[in-house]
Amino acid sequence: MDLETFSKYGGVNRVINYDVCIGCYTCEEVCSFIHEGKGYIVLYDIGGGLNKPISCFHCAKAPCVTACPTGAMHRDKDGAVLVDISKCIGCSACLAACPFGIPEIIPPGFATKCDLCNPLRSEGLTPGCVSMCPTRAIVWGTTAEVAKELRVRALKKLIYKPVP
Amino acid sequence: MKFAFMCKKGQAGGRGKVAVVGGGPAGLAATGYLVCYGYEVDVYEKLPLAGGMMMFGIPPYRIHRDSITEGIEDLEKNFGVKFSYRTKVFCGEPRHDEGDEFINNLIDLKKIVNEYDAVLLTTGIWSSRRLGVPGDNAKGVFSALEYVYSWWTYELGYTTHKPPVGNKVVVIGGGYSAIDAAEVALMKGAKEVYLTYRRTIREAPAGEYEVRRVVSEGVKWVELIQPTKVVVSNDKAVGVEFVKMRLGEPDETGRPRPVPMPGTEHVIEADMVLAAVGEIPTPPLNTECDGVKVDPKRKTIIVNERMQTGIEKVFAAGDVVTGPSMIGKAIGSGLRAATHLDHFLRAKKVV
Repeated sequence: MDLETFSKYGGVNRVINYDVCIGCYTCEEVCSFIHEGKGYIVLYDIGGGLNKPISCFHCAKAPCVTACPTGAMHRDKDGAVLVDISKCIGCSACLAACPFGIPEIIPPGFATKCDLCNPLRSEGLTPGCVSMCPTRAIVWGTTAEVAKELRVRALKKLIYKPVP
Repeated sequence: MKFAFMCKKGQAGGRGKVAVVGGGPAGLAATGYLVCYGYEVDVYEKLPLAGGMMMFGIPPYRIHRDSITEGIEDLEKNFGVKFSYRTKVFCGEPRHDEGDEFINNLIDLKKIVNEYDAVLLTTGIWSSRRLGVPGDNAKGVFSALEYVYSWWTYELGYTTHKPPVGNKVVVIGGGYSAIDAAEVALMKGAKEVYLTYRRTIREAPAGEYEVRRVVSEGVKWVELIQPTKVVVSNDKAVGVEFVKMRLGEPDETGRPRPVPMPGTEHVIEADMVLAAVGEIPTPPLNTECDGVKVDPKRKTIIVNERMQTGIEKVFAAGDVVTGPSMIGKAIGSGLRAATHLDHFLRAKKVV
């Protein structure tokens, strides 16, 4: 697959396997540490005492990229959806378009969201939330690798019975 | 886990020597940060393996041990971190905490402070609150933490002593420790497990979902009861006497205060009682050590806004500073302390 097609259809991505997430806040804490106090993977109380994280899905057909009138919302070579703040006008079109409510407009008026730890990726490292998740709930890789890992996990659940 | 998530390889070193006392989530996260910035780090750990509560408290079906050991091995092999296991660091007359039965070495905290450029204290919360009722020291009464970690150390081969399997087990508490203790007791073969809490399922710190999950596995949930005594026969627990509670006005935590209803005392038979009524911080000192001070009420280490103790080169982070919290919060605290420690040593070099 050529690079353009690769990045267009997801590239590398991160999927949260909610079954194994224990809501320990490691991803949020590490993310906010890396991004000077602002977390881009954040846990919310969804009732019943459950806290689960949500972050940008870096969609293959990202509605925020389509909706952005200035081309600020774009995709990098790995497939991550990023904001070019020099082009962003803070219009909230991306937020309106996002099915998950992910982009945020912050002062002085531009959109901000998860960058899949762009500086770390440029050094060949994985995003902080992926590296530090104690339960391996955050699966990372090319879309094919992520699919394989999730399928193997599903198989294990089908085959193994819990041993006392 | 990759604790050194900020770099592929450590820098050449030479930035200074740092001792991390306590190899749990806060200590390991700080270690990962410091090796990426070129520090030489030694970790002192009282248990036979690092990971702290992630390894010996939280059950392996929640956090896979492989995930933690891979991170520890990465620090050891790729970043030259030295782990001293079964080593307790303490200042003054050592206090007995949970997990201390694995100790081979005792090192004076003052010696560590002298030998290193900086020290980070991340010793966590290895002491369980007692029930505080008559009979709470009878045979068959354990803290939830003590009971679960004795299973994990047994399974990992660090002890040949197999922990007891209860017949009728009563767990007291409504937090994650209580949930885990009840589930482990059931998995290990207990016939009946009662999970008892003094408020209702709505106030249980572990949350309604977790309570309902263990109930679906066979745990019996009994709410609005509080233990008044452990019934003891021949030094052994044979039951727990409870009093029924009702919810009163909100207390200082904002939750309704449970109020006992006299005359409603009743006994639940049990041959094993697991107390999960909270953990207490376990700093490596009693009240004071050359300026490092412990909050007399909370038992936490007192730090300033830069996470520095009374000795400027000694920092502290994690649950021993905040009190019982979450793995992630301890990791965040460890990372922030490591940043302050780094800034402190850099500033010192400039001067």
